[in-house]
Amino acid sequence: MFDPSMTTRGISIPRTTVVAITALVIFMPLGLIFWQSFLNAPFFNPAHRFGFDAYAFIFADSDFWTAFLNSVLIAGAMVVIALPLGAALAFLLTRTDLPWQRTIEVLVLIPVFVSPMVLAFGYVVAMGPVGFYSLWVKQLVGDVPWNVYSLFSIAVIAGLTHVPHVYLYSSAALKSLGSDVEEAARVVGANPLRVALNVSLPMTMPALFYAAVLVFFLGFELFGLPLVLGDPEGHLVLSTYLYKLTNKLGTPSYHLMAAVAVCIVAVTFPLVLLQRWLLKTAGKYVSVKGKATRQKVLPLGGWKWVALAIVAAWLMFTIVVPISGIALRAFVDQWGEGINLADVLTLDNFRGVLDAKDQVRAIINTLLIGTVGGGLAVACYTAIGLASHRQSGGVVKILDYIVMIPRAIPGLLAGLAFLWIFLFVPGLKELRNSIFSVWLAYTVVWLAYGMRLISSALLQIGPELEESARTVGASGARVLKDVTIPLIRFGLLASWLLVFMIFEREYSTGVYLLTQGTEVIGSMLVSLWSAGAIDQVAALSLINIALVAVGLAVALRFGVRLHE
Amino acid sequence: MNNPVSKLVVENLHLKYGDNPILKGVSLALNPGEVVALLGASGSGKTTLLRSVAGLEQPNEGRITIGDSVLYDSAAKFDLPVEKRNLGLVFQSYALWPHRTVFENVAYGLRLRGNAGGDIDRRVGDALSNLGLGALAKRLPHQLSGGQQQRVAIARALVYNPPVVLMDEPLSNLDAKLREEARAWLRELIVRLHISALVVTHDQTEAMAMSDRILLLNFGKIEQQGTPEEMYNRPETLFTAEFMGSNNHLPGKVAQVADGKALIEGEGWRLWGAARDELKPGDAATGVIRLERTHIADGAGENRVRTELITDMFLGDRRENLFKLGALRLRCYGNPPRGNGECFLQLQPDDLWVYGTSEAS
Repeated sequence: MFDPSMTTRGISIPRTTVVAITALVIFMPLGLIFWQSFLNAPFFNPAHRFGFDAYAFIFADSDFWTAFLNSVLIAGAMVVIALPLGAALAFLLTRTDLPWQRTIEVLVLIPVFVSPMVLAFGYVVAMGPVGFYSLWVKQLVGDVPWNVYSLFSIAVIAGLTHVPHVYLYSSAALKSLGSDVEEAARVVGANPLRVALNVSLPMTMPALFYAAVLVFFLGFELFGLPLVLGDPEGHLVLSTYLYKLTNKLGTPSYHLMAAVAVCIVAVTFPLVLLQRWLLKTAGKYVSVKGKATRQKVLPLGGWKWVALAIVAAWLMFTIVVPISGIALRAFVDQWGEGINLADVLTLDNFRGVLDAKDQVRAIINTLLIGTVGGGLAVACYTAIGLASHRQSGGVVKILDYIVMIPRAIPGLLAGLAFLWIFLFVPGLKELRNSIFSVWLAYTVVWLAYGMRLISSALLQIGPELEESARTVGASGARVLKDVTIPLIRFGLLASWLLVFMIFEREYSTGVYLLTQGTEVIGSMLVSLWSAGAIDQVAALSLINIALVAVGLAVALRFGVRLHE
Repeated sequence: MNNPVSKLVVENLHLKYGDNPILKGVSLALNPGEVVALLGASGSGKTTLLRSVAGLEQPNEGRITIGDSVLYDSAAKFDLPVEKRNLGLVFQSYALWPHRTVFENVAYGLRLRGNAGGDIDRRVGDALSNLGLGALAKRLPHQLSGGQQQRVAIARALVYNPPVVLMDEPLSNLDAKLREEARAWLRELIVRLHISALVVTHDQTEAMAMSDRILLLNFGKIEQQGTPEEMYNRPETLFTAEFMGSNNHLPGKVAQVADGKALIEGEGWRLWGAARDELKPGDAATGVIRLERTHIADGAGENRVRTELITDMFLGDRRENLFKLGALRLRCYGNPPRGNGECFLQLQPDDLWVYGTSEAS
């Protein structure tokens, strides 16, 4: 009886290093937040003492409870809106003869990749009190029949823009559901509706439940939408409450922010555990393995035009309206009632961006962090993936759990925690003013997402391909170099593209790290929006959309699957 | 082609998955130039045994050696890594690397051993032409048929002259028709190149055709080992008798024992058979007889049973008849009897083996 890992000792030292670094970059910021939350002053203030003062303060603050309630309400409303729509969309696109399916499948994913900050800004300029669409409607009916700044509107917009998340999981479940189980139900005498209700729906239930938890979780983390849309009427959610706390007391109130952060993680972490458990149990209904069965298509008849109209209306509201709003706003210097569009068209907004050194740096940094940074991030994720590849045992189980912890930490908090680390860990101060600090925070925040990409690539490799290399005489490290990595090459490139898009889109993680040298478009948008520089926000938003669009076009050109 | 000086010895190998014992003390020896088949049903541990020899599974106890070199020894807490064992393994799925050409698949083992470029070209060329793959060197695995992929997998395992080649169900991935030809081809190759091989199979015909010796595994233990003739003609246990060949089974009770023979009886029949176990009157026992030794007789007589013909099946080279004897079903080859379906079957006492069975079965 002895340690079976003996045969793989060749790569165990690198593995330990990888696990140690991963644990360090995850637990250091998290630990700092927890520690800070139990101090009565910022931790760098020599007068700090342990205690629950920070919690006592926020729990006594009525704004905190309003924000908490708003977060729960918005997240709940998102589930109610996104779940049925996303499931219906998935059914229409996988099981019926809805026209233009291929095109719609691509369009549906756009809201996932456009920054919520950009989308929110899009709704302001398109449907705000003096938005393009608002004024056009006002000319027609004499009044603007909506108010995008109300809590209700925020919830509706958040719900509609999260339909794609539900769609992704339910369509994957529907695709993996073999038509044989449905045909079996038909043969024993069920009509198509009964089949859908008694077979298809119950069998996709685990996926739908998972999607519901995911949407609630995303709703709880929401930052960009409530920041932009909630500001005019003062609607706060937890993340914006945290953001506003920064300046609430005049001095940096880090202990209060940390206490709010802990409250947020206390809700999100159990949700992440729940998601993980659901994903595992969802496997029990996977009924197709290997062989792809051609699914029977349900003819919609005349109803297909009704269905198409509903889908088109949704696409119009979630993509066309906000993005066209931004595109228009980027090319005008002012907008309001009685202004003729042709008179105000200009390129000045872009000239303004190019004249501002920090904004040019933001564009260059965003490009760098997406391309070079994305590549480096994928390299890190691959190293972690390979460290646990075909291994079992304690270390791998621990790794499995710690990589999902960052999932529970919203980007805004992670950015804050990394700021503290860079400020107060000796030797890191120089890096704080370089884009490296933002890259590290991005890489950790998206660790769980990246690991899913890498492990799904690794899962494609049959173990015997690696075992056969071992038997002809290759060491563990040689097998990785000559067999494993070459075989996941395409998967790695696809991951790089997806991480590129995610890093272009990211905004909240960079907010607290923003300083001279670390500008990225996302954090710049938050900062410019707070300063009221609408012209530059519009121009930068359009540039951001263009960057993501390039990534999306390349991904589509090479047939990259847009979700894990 | 491979180096016929070392003998593979496995001693008392134990392996558990958690609390579930897979191998319960297996020992075997593979002499140079010999082919041994590991035969068994699924779950018997045959593939686990092969993978343990390769180093892909970690046994809990035992010892594996080739000649003077130790591959695994639990007493010395020694486990040689897979890549240092210098064995050839042909996978059931072939496991060709999809991103490498046929040539590169075969050459990889030589490159890892630091052979010179010219030497690699020559030896890969030899291996490929030995296996009739000369023209395919530049192809990628997905451009090959199943039979060609199998040969590339074999070439890859042979090219660096391992002392022993391990094969995991080498024929199971081929079509039924192709399998018979490949069986003859593989046997020819083994004989021509003097390969020492350990071959896993669940097919007794395949095991008999390809190997010099068969090891029959039953739930992690060796049930019996011997030459194909011994295994087929002199099975020591009921399990072996039933595993090899096609058989009629006659479960009943021992009525009389005399002179190495046992009289076994059931409902409506009484037959003398050769006692293969220690038996005494009253014991539960099963009579087993090969189909080809069960004959249709022209009437009642000594050691015959009266049965009723249910149906007959035409198999091309012969006919197989199905008879009814109470609740029992008996089969035999030959032309079906004419008439009202009543038929007598002759079961010679020497051909009917009687094994004791526990009361429960």
